[in-house]
Amino acid sequence: MLPLIYADKGNTVEILKVGGSAEVKKRLEDLGFTPGEHVVVVSEAQGNLIVNIRDTRIALNQAIAGKIMVC
Amino acid sequence: MAEKKLTIALAGNPNSGKTTLFNALTGSNQFVGNWPGVTVEKKEGRLKGRSDVMIEDLPGIYSLSPYTMEEVVSRNFLIDEHPDGILNIVDGTNLERNLYLTTQLAELGIPMVVAVNMADLIEKAGDKINIEKLSKTLGCPVISISALKGTAIRAAAEKAVEVAEKGQTAKMAEFHPSVETALKALGDKLTGVPENLKRWYSVKLFERDDKVLERLNMDVSAINDIISKVETEMDDDSESIITNERYEFISRSLEGCYRKKGSGELSASDKIDQVVTNRWLALPIFFLVMWLVYYVSISTVGTACTDWVNEGVFGDGFYLFGNGRDAYTEAMNDYYAANIFTDEVKANVDQAAAAGITGAEDIQAAISEGDYEAFDEAYGFYGSELDEKADGAYSISETVDTALEAEDVPANEDYGKWVPGLPVVLENLLDSVGCAEIVKRLVLDGIVAGIGAVLGFVPQMLVLFLFLAFLESCGYMARIAFVMDRLFRKFGLSGKSFIPILIGTGCGVPGIMASRTIENERDRRMTIMTTTFIPCGAKLPIIALIATALFRGSSLVATSAYFLGLAAIIISGIILKKTKMFAGEPAPFVMELPAYHWPTVGNILRSMWERGWSFIKKAGTIILLSSIVIWAGSKFGPSGFNAELELEESYLGMFGDAVKWIFAPLGFGNVKAAVATIMGLVAKEEVVGVFGVLDFEGLTQLAGYSFLAFNLLCAPCFAAIGAIKREMNSAKWTWFAIGYQCALAYVVSFIIYQIGSVLTGSGNLFGAVLALLAVIGIVWLLIRPYKESVKLETVISKG
Repeated sequence: MLPLIYADKGNTVEILKVGGSAEVKKRLEDLGFTPGEHVVVVSEAQGNLIVNIRDTRIALNQAIAGKIMVC
Repeated sequence: MAEKKLTIALAGNPNSGKTTLFNALTGSNQFVGNWPGVTVEKKEGRLKGRSDVMIEDLPGIYSLSPYTMEEVVSRNFLIDEHPDGILNIVDGTNLERNLYLTTQLAELGIPMVVAVNMADLIEKAGDKINIEKLSKTLGCPVISISALKGTAIRAAAEKAVEVAEKGQTAKMAEFHPSVETALKALGDKLTGVPENLKRWYSVKLFERDDKVLERLNMDVSAINDIISKVETEMDDDSESIITNERYEFISRSLEGCYRKKGSGELSASDKIDQVVTNRWLALPIFFLVMWLVYYVSISTVGTACTDWVNEGVFGDGFYLFGNGRDAYTEAMNDYYAANIFTDEVKANVDQAAAAGITGAEDIQAAISEGDYEAFDEAYGFYGSELDEKADGAYSISETVDTALEAEDVPANEDYGKWVPGLPVVLENLLDSVGCAEIVKRLVLDGIVAGIGAVLGFVPQMLVLFLFLAFLESCGYMARIAFVMDRLFRKFGLSGKSFIPILIGTGCGVPGIMASRTIENERDRRMTIMTTTFIPCGAKLPIIALIATALFRGSSLVATSAYFLGLAAIIISGIILKKTKMFAGEPAPFVMELPAYHWPTVGNILRSMWERGWSFIKKAGTIILLSSIVIWAGSKFGPSGFNAELELEESYLGMFGDAVKWIFAPLGFGNVKAAVATIMGLVAKEEVVGVFGVLDFEGLTQLAGYSFLAFNLLCAPCFAAIGAIKREMNSAKWTWFAIGYQCALAYVVSFIIYQIGSVLTGSGNLFGAVLALLAVIGIVWLLIRPYKESVKLETVISKG
């Protein structure tokens, strides 16, 4: 289990857990970041990520990407 | 049915095509952008051909648990106003995530139709959606549409009206049996809730929604047992349980309905993103794009158009299609060579140049090139220098004036199809009807000069708006926010603050409104306060005025104005973040990035025209009125009307005289600059309007730049102040914002002028010391430590 920021670019990873404050967690889940979902990191720049999830492209900054645990 | 009005709400995820559909259904002209959050307010329109049906375009939402301001607008409308029907737009290329909202909308007990948008794109990608089956599992009509091409949109709207009339609600998502048991138990505790909203309330209670608990006057303790039981069983918190159950339901519903070709390849958008959001290339690409936008709109195309309007339409006139321009120039050059560039003039100018008189070298150069236009320009700027220095020994004005007043000066009309400018036409017209002198002067010097000074900049603005509309509709805007987030976070702002600033370069009002997409209230307030620091379209004329009048049209002035604006935003970000009011990290950045697409020409032109038109309208109303007021104020005084009245003896001059002391420490304590600055509050274009009506005079370069800095940074125009008030929704915050802006403007101009004076060797000690103290004060505000609360939070989040 490791935070999403350490996932390799281009690899598909599976979400295990979404953390963060209740508000942030809810937002991430509303956007489709739920345990069991697959995520692909499309672009990475100093911890800020663009990921593909559920056929959409979502930009996350380092702080929030660190709250998503994947394997 | 005809007498009853039906309201159909368009609801769906951000950027799913609601506004495109709204325009098609109602015949409206709302701008459609390609970034989440274009629509921040609900818009209303009548369904074409059905005057009894109102369509409401709501800002996009991902869920009914609102996160940002514009999402609150949508949720409140759906829950409180209870529309008769919902037309739920679903992006077909991204069904799962879009249907998540659908499951929540279904629980509102409002009749609903689901419209699967972008049907054409789905087919092109080789995917298949079984609409009939989907309709059966969702328990409501589902229609495949293409909002952009207008396919089946009428059918979708009519279906929505039909289900609204019948009151046919959609099926609600079924959850895990344990959750269902809990929801039933919670439902039994509900009293005085409409039957059709029971499911929604039960789910909200299960999620322990504060606002709903408050509304029902219930206490968490009464229901905690029921919820905790399920939470222990499923090992998650209740909100996450519901979210997961919704997605589970969607996966089940989509089984057998949706066949995706499932390609693992990167899409074109992904490939573009790998370049434009690249670690190294992102910022250079961004700066290149911005430089191109402002260079083209301000320096090249825009200036060419603006010159034509200023000198042609609102000046002497112009040649139709340029025919005759060359012949005329040649004739004029010949005439100047024969009558003005005489040996005597040449000798005077040479002597003046040798004596080091300012500008003499420019005149000298124009003469040796035999270029009459260059001579006119240089003489216009520096002719008076030659007259004044050395008791007029170098003066050439007598020769020039005599030559230009002679009968045989080449006339424009003789060299081609000459179209006279508006002032010339009007003057002839007024003369021919024998109009009174006072009316003639009002029309020519007051109205035409005042409005002309402003309208001249419309072409420049149109070009700028064209670029902004393109950036907004192609999808790059959302990337800019992402790219800038890394940088802006260092200054206490979020990347999302950059979208309002960028839109604010066009006009501050939509810029301030675009701040609604920022989740965190502190970040939003800070963005509202700082957005108008960036020069808006109406401030361009001020920049151009100072640049041409005092800096010989140097393009550095405009560049420095944008940097000054950006610097003010950054400095304010850091300073404000260190106060107690704004302490705390900016909200983490999460934003959906839409697929890139080539914008439609119609959409871009519409946006350009609409924003440009509001400037033209402003010229015809508020600026017309204030031009008349300024003209009248400057021509009437205690001694009555006099076209040649000295400014100081007019009412306007007396007013300026009374307030000019405020600006004296900034270097522009003269009547005209004071009046211009005050009028700038009405509309920034008025600053130029004042100088247009009351010629420009007597500011040094330094004082002129200080004047520019103050007018760029101080409180914006009334329209923008109104927008600040609406968005802050608090008189206290509005005053604070205006006060902060004016104070910052004053301090910055003060520093520029006082320190600048010392550097040019004309400053005074007292002012310089004060300015130095101000610099030290700002530096201290910048480097002092952040407030404690932030540090604690960081420690906690790290631990």
